[in-house]
Amino acid sequence: MTNEISLLSTGEDPMSVPEAPRSSQKLSPGAWLKVNLFNSVTNSIITVVVGLIAAYVTWQAVAWVISKDFTIIRDTLRIFMIGQFPDDELWRLWVSGAILVIAIGLAAGALARNSYELAESQGLEPESSSVLDLVRRFWAIIAILLLFASFARTAQPKIGIVAVIILVFVVRQLAWSAPVAIRSRAVYISALLVVGSTLVVAGTSRLGGACVGIVVFAWALNESGRRDVAAMRGGRFVSWLLPLVVAAIVAAIVAAIGFDGYGWDDWGGIHVNLFTAVVGITLGMPFGILLALGRQSKLPVVRTASVLYIEFVRGVPLISLLLFSKLLLPLFLPIDMERPAALTLAIVVIMGFSAAYVAEIVRGGLQAVPKGQTEAAQALGLSPGAMQRMIVLPQALRAVIPAMVGQFIALFKDTTLLTTVAVLEFLDAATIANNQPQFLGKGLAPVTYLFVAVGFWAFSFTMSKESRRLEQRLGVGTR
Amino acid sequence: MTDASNTTTVNTDATKIMGGTGEPIIEVRGMDKFFGDFQALTNIDMVVGKQEVVVVIGPSGSGKSTLIRCINRLERHDRGTIIVDGIELSDDVRNIQEIRRETGMVFQSFNLFPHLTVLENITLAPRNVRGVPKAQAEAHAMELLERVKIPQQANKYPGQMSGGQQQRVAIARTLAMRPKVVLFDEPTSALDPEMVKEVLDTMKDLALEGMTMICVTHEMGFAREVGDRVVFMADGMIVEVGSPEHFFTTPQEERTKLFLSQIL
Repeated sequence: MTNEISLLSTGEDPMSVPEAPRSSQKLSPGAWLKVNLFNSVTNSIITVVVGLIAAYVTWQAVAWVISKDFTIIRDTLRIFMIGQFPDDELWRLWVSGAILVIAIGLAAGALARNSYELAESQGLEPESSSVLDLVRRFWAIIAILLLFASFARTAQPKIGIVAVIILVFVVRQLAWSAPVAIRSRAVYISALLVVGSTLVVAGTSRLGGACVGIVVFAWALNESGRRDVAAMRGGRFVSWLLPLVVAAIVAAIVAAIGFDGYGWDDWGGIHVNLFTAVVGITLGMPFGILLALGRQSKLPVVRTASVLYIEFVRGVPLISLLLFSKLLLPLFLPIDMERPAALTLAIVVIMGFSAAYVAEIVRGGLQAVPKGQTEAAQALGLSPGAMQRMIVLPQALRAVIPAMVGQFIALFKDTTLLTTVAVLEFLDAATIANNQPQFLGKGLAPVTYLFVAVGFWAFSFTMSKESRRLEQRLGVGTR
Repeated sequence: MTDASNTTTVNTDATKIMGGTGEPIIEVRGMDKFFGDFQALTNIDMVVGKQEVVVVIGPSGSGKSTLIRCINRLERHDRGTIIVDGIELSDDVRNIQEIRRETGMVFQSFNLFPHLTVLENITLAPRNVRGVPKAQAEAHAMELLERVKIPQQANKYPGQMSGGQQQRVAIARTLAMRPKVVLFDEPTSALDPEMVKEVLDTMKDLALEGMTMICVTHEMGFAREVGDRVVFMADGMIVEVGSPEHFFTTPQEERTKLFLSQIL
């Protein structure tokens, strides 16, 4: 017996090892097992031992989960989802969520179709993206949303969540088959929708007007660039001033509407974690890129200021900055000034914190761009600003996508620290649930923490999977 | 030896224009360049005429590349003057930008922008530096791709092409700015042997069309066939200058003879 195996292994090893990954799909299940798990004595022993341990752990875990009563989640689901957001204002969350989902579906569908067509024009095999593929990519988030829905006691949230999932798919498919004119502008439309979605729940229409103005300005700049008006007579006016005027008018109209969101004192639950993480990294990114460029600046003042900021922020824990903003900052503010909401301060802190980390990530990317690239740009007569914007940054940012997503995931999990500044976030909701009179002292903490862990895992896992996919796809066109 | 001394046509004065229209477009006078304590170039005098093709050869480390990189300010020269198309190269950013717009450069490692398609690579500078409208820039780019014989690659990314094709795109990208002078920095040194010819042919066509060119190269066949003048450099100095014919058949300096005996 042993003889046979050793003969087999010595005879097949050099061949089967490199062959295994390629032919594994065509092998029958039995042959696959033999090639991958039982191809030598050592490997067989390891397979059996590890398999037994895995089976035991899984069995124990499943048995534990089944034995537990999840009534606590059912009863307090609302705190986990949205904290203490008042009933009367609940419609804002649903409207906001629906708009957000439309924005995501629109951007996703349009961008996927654009890159599909690009790949086709390159003669490359375009990546298929059927609904089935999407489900495969986002199954964790879909599953967690359905899990949330299944815990709901009333019909309304169940229907709402399912409707939102269906809506995102429908909008995506519509955007996929939309005319080019819409698809090429989808990013701007989506950005406006995101601003609108935020405005429904938070902020004032003045602030919203400012945000809308910025997006419209960028959009109008792009439109004027599209038609090459810069080269026409009076091009400067058309390409710069006109967008500015249009943006100002739109901003003024939005500001004048006077539709204000609900304040965010009562925000809570996983809603807060997702919101602060997304806003923190979106606002922190441009700031971080500026810091990274500042760190490389030839001007000593700019360079020193950037280095000081980055090294200071990276040198202290996030929790200390949060506590500082909550406990110490108010002491420095004028006495008659209104104290900013805890969440406002927290978002500012998280933004500033992520900016410092983004700056270091981007610096790595900037250093990875070969010197020949800047030399070629200079030799063509590009100005230093145009060179950074069009040659260096696009390549640097592309190179750091994995690190950036990693930072985002870390930040998403770090939002649990918001509990220290009295924001009722997802993890804190578990504590609150356990402190409800009917559950007090029943030892249900593990159940609630499991729920929270699964919630965080679903989002983080999907993000890291998506970043790997993005990385692979961008690699195809560039190398 | 006696033969060589009889031939007086070999000229060691690099300031005498020997081809093209005879009107100067690049003038380098008494230029020195240091890298720290190391003197990379010593007292370089050189004048290039409009439509002239000057080939710079010499052993590696002799300062050939540094010389042409000083002409478009990729390196800053430490002493002397450089005048390109009537503009003196100084620390003034506007002067530098103006000179760079008039001088194209083709690099050894192509340096195409990997995140842009071939068409975008070529139209980027005309659109952003010269403000050429998109349609016009693209039409010109297609003409140039026609000229370097790869119009069907317009929508590909540099990474999808062979080295020779990439270098031809790099040449088209340079020409898109309609430069008055093109500097070639060992354009064929990074290529596989079978791709050298297609790039040299492109350069030959360019020379025939009357482009002013300074080529740093190791391609002696090209120097002999296309060059109006050959400049031989060693140890950061111009050692000998002459028409290709005289340079290769009757070199005068010992250093030149040694170099030629090693490569031919």
